[in-house]
Amino acid sequence: MSGHAEAGERRLVISGWAVTSPYGLGRRSFAEGLLARTTATAAVDTAAWPVPYEDAGLIPDFDIRSVLGRKGTRSMDRATGIAVVTVGELLEDFGQGLAADPEKTGLVLGTSGSVQSIMDFTKDALTGEKPYLVDPARFPNTVMNCPTGQSAIRHTLKGPNVTVSGGSATGLLALNYASRLLRGGHANALLAGAAEEFSVQRARLERVADHGGAEADPLGEGAALFLLESGEAAREGGRRVLATVLGSRFRAFPETGRAGAALSRCVAEVLSDAGVAAADVALVAPGTPPGLLGKQEEAALDAVAGERIPVRPLVGDATAASAAFQLAAVLAHAGARPALVDRLALVTALDRDGTVGATLLRLG
Amino acid sequence: MTSQTAATGQRAAARHRVVITGLGVVTSIGTGVDAFAEGLRAGRSGAKPISAFDTTGFAHSNACEITDFEPEAWLRELPADELGRAAQFAVAGARMAVADGGLTEADVRARRSLVSIGTTDGESRDLDHLTGLQVAQGEDTLDPVVARRVWPGRLSAGIVRELGLEDVETVTVPTACAAGNYAVGYGYDAISSGDVEMALCGGADALCRKTFTGFYRLGTIAPDVCRPFDADRQGILTGEGAGILLMESLESALARGARIYAEVLGYGLSCDASHPVAPDRDSIARCITAAHANAGITPADVDFISAHGTGTKANDVTEVGAIRQVFGEDLPRTVSIKSMIGHTMGAASALASAACALALREGFIPPTINHRTTDPECGVDCVPNEAVEADLKVVQNNGLAFGGNNAVLVLGHWEDRSAVA
Repeated sequence: MSGHAEAGERRLVISGWAVTSPYGLGRRSFAEGLLARTTATAAVDTAAWPVPYEDAGLIPDFDIRSVLGRKGTRSMDRATGIAVVTVGELLEDFGQGLAADPEKTGLVLGTSGSVQSIMDFTKDALTGEKPYLVDPARFPNTVMNCPTGQSAIRHTLKGPNVTVSGGSATGLLALNYASRLLRGGHANALLAGAAEEFSVQRARLERVADHGGAEADPLGEGAALFLLESGEAAREGGRRVLATVLGSRFRAFPETGRAGAALSRCVAEVLSDAGVAAADVALVAPGTPPGLLGKQEEAALDAVAGERIPVRPLVGDATAASAAFQLAAVLAHAGARPALVDRLALVTALDRDGTVGATLLRLG
Repeated sequence: MTSQTAATGQRAAARHRVVITGLGVVTSIGTGVDAFAEGLRAGRSGAKPISAFDTTGFAHSNACEITDFEPEAWLRELPADELGRAAQFAVAGARMAVADGGLTEADVRARRSLVSIGTTDGESRDLDHLTGLQVAQGEDTLDPVVARRVWPGRLSAGIVRELGLEDVETVTVPTACAAGNYAVGYGYDAISSGDVEMALCGGADALCRKTFTGFYRLGTIAPDVCRPFDADRQGILTGEGAGILLMESLESALARGARIYAEVLGYGLSCDASHPVAPDRDSIARCITAAHANAGITPADVDFISAHGTGTKANDVTEVGAIRQVFGEDLPRTVSIKSMIGHTMGAASALASAACALALREGFIPPTINHRTTDPECGVDCVPNEAVEADLKVVQNNGLAFGGNNAVLVLGHWEDRSAVA
């Protein structure tokens, strides 16, 4: 929620990004797949994953030890592995200079943790020889900030380390949290984004959730992280401004049928706070939830110009990571199309538990 | 105006002052602000044998469980079975905080607001239940009503739905056992920057088998009671509950003539980035210093510290070592309310914030109970066993968490007569 008065130099900018997705590791596979509109979901190997779904968007051949090595990974769960890998990629490609100031560099990660880890731990307690004979090394995995804390440990991020959660709006909430921390003077640079894992227990739980009266989408997984800092800090660090964050707004809706009205107001407010018009928006990355929520989103975005970029239909329902994927999709498009420089992009999210959000960016 | 790239802990600009005007608490020593305040003053203990789950096979099994909570007494809009126990605590706490602040739901609805709720375990008690069903009845067995309420976002969303808020940012902050301070700090930044006018912030957690088992396996569950800073301390007792703070800008509070418990002066965050469960002294010290800088105070201003004070052998020594690193040898009194209410996980630092706000308003320091002999390795005046009266100006509340996630909050006394100015 940047105000008008904020000088350009003090505006918060995205100056780096990293993604691990059902297209594979890294930005390149993500950008190529997304721009070509290739579907990344595929038939699930139900022998390995006994889930009540036929298709899923799994990170291909994702194996924590082959990516991160054996050291420190014995007890690492999938959600944590995905986060650690993606944070590492972001720092490797864009983090020059940040390592010199680890106490002023932090991480705001959106995640619901790993329900698989939590339930496995309880299962061991219930089925073991004694009710307390569980693997103590796996206890930290059962706490939802494990991916965030482990990412900091692996990559020496000593600044604020925050975990946030809010369903499919999580990625936008994390970006806004990071923005407030930076404006409050709690850090100089923050990695912000979200991570989600595919797991058998998540699939079981998601199967019975309310999907707006529609069939559940295939589940997806992965992470997208963004380097957020002031324009001034980016310039000093020799980093290119990929996007300027003009603001985010959130609202709540009391019933699904009113989600569209809530989102319309969010969008109108984020545009008006930035002093721009709906007709000026060049790109829109909507959340595209299934069923009634999706219809509400379409109606809310009726008045907004701009090309729609589908994300969820290609990579699956990445829940906590979904809005972060949408934001990454915007940057992927911007990176491939120089004509988008200085144009506006809008990312929207509608969560079934009642939150809507909209984030507005100026590209390049 | 200080630049955006100021040293960590410094504010970017002078902004709105932020005050606490309502408290909602659900604890094992009392539900509601009056019962909680009375429990703190009296040094009440919430310790008792666990009834939340079957503890057969454990050599000892005390916890600070809440045995008299009735969700129906607090929920007016949502059916109780739509919410897990942690969300029920959170919603009850939010209703109490709004009423305690002298507001109606319509008053809160009319303002732009933030709801940020910290947690360690979310609805892990429900996940325990679902796992138990799978073990007993087969892997694919699921209770759909329970399955739908397990996601952590529902702790904050439950409050928003129950109160019918619409112009609101809703976020759950599962930053483990310092989560309450993170959530309160987020509210402070949101109000002080002018982004929102009002915030309901805090933390909630419910007792669960998973967490009890984990701490038991680590050898950190006390056999009887929790004795922070005591030479014979043997560990934590797990606890449960919720602490929710109604926060608003000073202008808003003064305009409506609200009773002010305390001012939020600022807060600091740090990450150890070293070990997932063993806290790091230097990093905690850095967090305390960042909080002081953010609040514009010096160590000499602090009248007492509400410590994280888990009561384990190692953690108390590390935490006091960090405090000594910042304060030198002249330490303020340092207490742990976990001696009374147990370790309520994501609610812990939120409930401690509520206790600090009450202490500032009413002029007392809550005791550290179950205390016999102070460990010379800690060497603090922990206000053993009995509360003391004290004229307080500034209070510091420490929160430490797995993952090396530290958050320290600083609260200040509000002089009613200065309201005229």
